[in-house]
Amino acid sequence: MMRRLYAFLAAATIIALALPGLAQGTLVRFTGQLLDVRNGYVYFTTGDAFKLAPNPTFADYDTGKPTTLQPRPKLFARAIIDPATKLVVQLDLTTRRLPTDTSYTADVKSAVATTATTAKAPEIVGVPLTGKEVPVEFIVTVPPSTPVNSDVYISTDFSGWNPQAIKLDRIDGSRYRVVRRLPSGTKFAYRVTRGSWNSVEVGQDGLEPLTPHLFFVKEVDAQSSPVVVYGWSDNRTNGQQAAQPGAIPTPFNPNPFGGAGLVPPQRATPPGGFPTPRHT
Amino acid sequence: MALMRLLLFFSMAWFLLAGTTAAIAASPDASLDITAKNVDFFYNRFIVTADGDVRLRLSDGTTVSGQTFTMDLKLNRFLVAGDVHVDGPGIHQTGAALAGYPDLDRIFFLPAAGTPERYTYFGGDWSNPHAGREQPGDAFNFPDLTAERPYIVASGVRIVPKTNALFTFPRVYTAGVYLPLPRYVVTFSANPHYFENGFAGGRADIALPFNGSEHSLTALHLRNDQFNGTYLALDQHFVWDHDYIVAAVDPLTQEQRQYNLIGYKRFSQKLETRVFLQESAAQAGIINRPDNAAAFGEINVNAGLRHSGLSYIQDNYWQYLLGFKPGPNDAVPTGSYDPRWREHPMSQQLVWTGYENRVTKATPLLFRLRSSIGLAHDVYGEGGYPNEQPGPPTTSFHALGATLYTPPLKLGAFGITAQYDRQKMWFNLPHQVDQTDSRVTLSRQFARQHVNAYVAYEIRNTADYWGDQQLAAYPVGTAGCGDTCIDQYGTFGGQNAFRGLATFRALTAAAVYSPSQYFTLNLQLTHNRDFPLPVPGIYGQAPYLFTGDLRVRISRQILLDLTRQYFFNFAGQRWAPQFGIQFSP
Repeated sequence: MMRRLYAFLAAATIIALALPGLAQGTLVRFTGQLLDVRNGYVYFTTGDAFKLAPNPTFADYDTGKPTTLQPRPKLFARAIIDPATKLVVQLDLTTRRLPTDTSYTADVKSAVATTATTAKAPEIVGVPLTGKEVPVEFIVTVPPSTPVNSDVYISTDFSGWNPQAIKLDRIDGSRYRVVRRLPSGTKFAYRVTRGSWNSVEVGQDGLEPLTPHLFFVKEVDAQSSPVVVYGWSDNRTNGQQAAQPGAIPTPFNPNPFGGAGLVPPQRATPPGGFPTPRHT
Repeated sequence: MALMRLLLFFSMAWFLLAGTTAAIAASPDASLDITAKNVDFFYNRFIVTADGDVRLRLSDGTTVSGQTFTMDLKLNRFLVAGDVHVDGPGIHQTGAALAGYPDLDRIFFLPAAGTPERYTYFGGDWSNPHAGREQPGDAFNFPDLTAERPYIVASGVRIVPKTNALFTFPRVYTAGVYLPLPRYVVTFSANPHYFENGFAGGRADIALPFNGSEHSLTALHLRNDQFNGTYLALDQHFVWDHDYIVAAVDPLTQEQRQYNLIGYKRFSQKLETRVFLQESAAQAGIINRPDNAAAFGEINVNAGLRHSGLSYIQDNYWQYLLGFKPGPNDAVPTGSYDPRWREHPMSQQLVWTGYENRVTKATPLLFRLRSSIGLAHDVYGEGGYPNEQPGPPTTSFHALGATLYTPPLKLGAFGITAQYDRQKMWFNLPHQVDQTDSRVTLSRQFARQHVNAYVAYEIRNTADYWGDQQLAAYPVGTAGCGDTCIDQYGTFGGQNAFRGLATFRALTAAAVYSPSQYFTLNLQLTHNRDFPLPVPGIYGQAPYLFTGDLRVRISRQILLDLTRQYFFNFAGQRWAPQFGIQFSP
């Protein structure tokens, strides 16, 4: 029994010692998008450069036969590296999008000609973003003065600040809601409106917010963006009808000039129209 | 009135002066000028690419040439790759790629002169390459634009980071073809003031923004509305971080036009002003003397106080800017003229609004308070009561108001909100207007069915109290047509019952069905019960109103929004005459 065990261990040791030697003869491959081939090196969009052999072969990625494609930026390529010399002996080219190798094997790492980084850059932070679609829920709480049937919108820089870009649906007495699926990594600014730039959200103090709401879609399963609107720019009083030119003291006295006067529709309207009190 | 004019004039002068100061204080121009054989812009990705003999000029005078260029306008980073040459006062380098991160104030560079290296330049200092410093993993990545169609094809572009991109001699993808234009500006700024609108409402508007810089945007608009038909209009924006001026001529190509000016100045975090001026003129050409002209001006000053806000609003009207010849009309109102119009109606109002407060910590009741004082001079409608003839030229008022409300409260499977608003407004004439508004809403979410539904009931009362003068102020037939109003829509009786106290009641039921982001159906039915009874064309609301809103995403870029209303045969109308149709991204 023990003999068998020793024999097995000895065989395993021999195989383990022999494997790197066997690998020495295997070519190493690295796939990615080309930045440039210059001065005897091939550069990939990962920022890595590999030294080219004196007479490298340029081949078609799919057939392996010689290609008419010349290495240039944006092409995709597979570099075949001789592990003994750490030189790229063949470059397989294609215009077809190929996934970039992001997990380097030890052999690829050792073949990279770019000098290793020696200093950390603390300003570079963040997590990898795949651009997957993330459902984002926008919930807007409106002030009580908002009419029941009022339309509420989100205006974003992505939609050219169209004040009616994304329409929300009222879901109860004080909230509106909409769900949009956005790619992770999307970064945008938005404001809440009632359909025009004359009726945009204002703060509790009646002033316009200094900056729009900023939103960033993270690499998560779902995200929510709650916003509270305290007032609208066309109703800074947050109240009911105030006396204004053209307004009637009560909404139901349509003949303000009495019997001897004129009703508003008979005003002398100058050519070009009566001045519109507000732009829309 | 001269005082009012003076006040308005000084306000405008101060505003323009402040705007000029902001322009001087603005940061120096920083831009990227790119020329290449082919420059493409992808609107739905906000990405600019350039290929073939790319030449990029940075604002410090450094030029970078290469085979290809790409810039993500939203992320504000660019890349030049392929036979890169960097030449400037302090640098002459060749490399494989150069990536610019203006937000980090970094340039990442892969030199190709000797052994491959990673250089990082800080703050525009080309003298120190900081070799071997860590770089972002995706600094030299090209965006995947597979299956994307460029919206603009050009040979050059000037990009002002975080603001706009000006394309020279572009071809813009319009209705299936690339339309050649002399210039086109794409504004992608996160500053919404570039899109403040100086135009009146219209049915359609196609903008051609043809000039822009770090702080300006000029656009020609092809517009259509029900009064003027199809016409051209022009607007000019001047924009700073928090301030803006918008000037517009609308229409540009017709005899009757409006000149609009909007100005906004943020003096501090707690103080802002806004001015709106509008002149309506009838003139044969844009430089001709108008045959007639009227104007409107509004000044709005808002200040943030401790847990409250203060707003000043002043409106001025100039009905006849060109003046009237004295004549018999000065004393007698006629069908087309009222002597009071020779004055300039004006109103001023100072409004205080409190923050949201809790009644007590233990209850979910919230409240907000407000008050205002104001005056109105020569305002249509004031002094027009039958018992106050002729009315005084100026009336003043003050008001107090409060809103008591709840946030959404859970009630089993339901949500409930309630609110009560009351306002009293006292006038110098012996009357006061009381307004109350009560609303309760019951909502429920049916998650499995993807439906949100609610029912809301609202009662609004408006009462104009004159004490013992009540019946004199509101005699029978106040509606102006006796007890029975007859107009083109029909016969509407029972008007004499109204003596200054009005009531709205509205019951609304709505449901939103939204099974996915691609489909939303919103249905709403409202039953209005008004007193006095509504008279179509004069006042009031349709007793029954149904609104349907269907939103369907028909492609990655286009959302179709269809809206239509049904009036249940009120005033001879069934369906609203038009569909509301909107395409949006």
